[in-house]
Amino acid sequence: MEKEVQIHPNYADLQNQFALFLMFEGEMERAENHFLKALRLNPRYREALLNLGFLYGEMRRWKEAEEIFLSEVKQHPKDGFVHHLLGILYLQTGRKRDAVARIDKAIQYHPYYRDYYKKKGVWRGGEVHLYQEAERALKKIHLNYPTAQFHNFVGLYLAKKGKSSQAVRELKKAASLEPDEFIFHTNLGTVYYYQGNYSKAIQEFKRALGMNPFYGIGYANLSYVYGSMRRTQEALRYMKKAVQINPHYADLHYNLALLYSDRKRYDDAVFELKKALRINPNYLLARINLGVLYEDQKRWKEARREYRKILQVTPDDEHIRKRLERIS
Amino acid sequence: MLKEDFVIQSNIRRMLIRTNIDYSRMDFGTVKGVVYLRGIFQISRLYTDGDEEKKKDYTVKTLYTFEKKIRSLPGVTDVIFQFLNWRKEKGQWVPIEMKEKEEDQDEEKKTASNL
Repeated sequence: MEKEVQIHPNYADLQNQFALFLMFEGEMERAENHFLKALRLNPRYREALLNLGFLYGEMRRWKEAEEIFLSEVKQHPKDGFVHHLLGILYLQTGRKRDAVARIDKAIQYHPYYRDYYKKKGVWRGGEVHLYQEAERALKKIHLNYPTAQFHNFVGLYLAKKGKSSQAVRELKKAASLEPDEFIFHTNLGTVYYYQGNYSKAIQEFKRALGMNPFYGIGYANLSYVYGSMRRTQEALRYMKKAVQINPHYADLHYNLALLYSDRKRYDDAVFELKKALRINPNYLLARINLGVLYEDQKRWKEARREYRKILQVTPDDEHIRKRLERIS
Repeated sequence: MLKEDFVIQSNIRRMLIRTNIDYSRMDFGTVKGVVYLRGIFQISRLYTDGDEEKKKDYTVKTLYTFEKKIRSLPGVTDVIFQFLNWRKEKGQWVPIEMKEKEEDQDEEKKTASNL
């Protein structure tokens, strides 16, 4: 990974991931440098900023950690997660009253934390009660978020190396540490899909969508799994949903057009391909499909028009040239 | 043979996430069983300590394997490669020179803006 960072020094994602690895290796100063580099490359990189906050907490540089979390609260005053982080930070620094106030806000702004603190016995009768045992337990969980991210990155890295069983193990660790983080379940679903374990992939993608029903790509992921299973009816249902949530993604319109075309719903397919081309007029693949669809419907003039446009861009495309000659 | 384009498309996607091919700069589509691949073909996380020959050999091997896998997918009748940096000539994969590639890209942009 170090080599990769040297080759791509301007990738903020890589800098953030590498910093997390260093942090867990105990190389705190180097980790700080790389988080700062990630933030210089992308000043709005929230994960890197929060990770830097955790790092400062680990280094007992409480003031700097507090400043980071407070700046996040300023940006997102109703983000329960950051209030929760501040609560834990205050607990660690012995500021019990401030901790109670932040935990109270976390519960107020995010229903997840109501259940979370209820389970720990901290939220009782509509109030925060920080008894000694709960306080001790809470102090231990402060690194859950960066630890989960660490396992997530390791999982993704192993998956790319083809070590899918190990990848699943790492991603499961990430999901168990932060069960409310939909992206870990999405990644787990992707690795199951890659393994060919379709039922588990569907289960994880659906779990992720239960946590974040507005994640349009999640529905597209489900659609692809059903596609690989040849269950195109379900694939169509989920791709429609993906398009509904992300109407400006040309690629999703293209995939929806394929599903319609496979079911011989040519008018719907043409409609989606035209939408894809309106979003991205350089989307040559969509134009090829459109030309072929027109040809299938014996709309020769329109087919010829699309083929000519394609040949202006790729004059060497023999397939399209032959198609054009055949209908000219 | 069944030619369900979306099924083929899903299987190509699944195949790509299982390989070390960087598909972020690549487009792929399926038309009545014919698979189109466009854009830039490159391998992700390939470190050869600057040995360009080694890098080239590995990429060529990957291209052959990739092509074979796509052709073996049920329903696929043909595969058309339109990569900007690699082309197949008389059955051999050959890299397209950087300069030539850039000129092509420029030309493509110009033409596409006239569409």
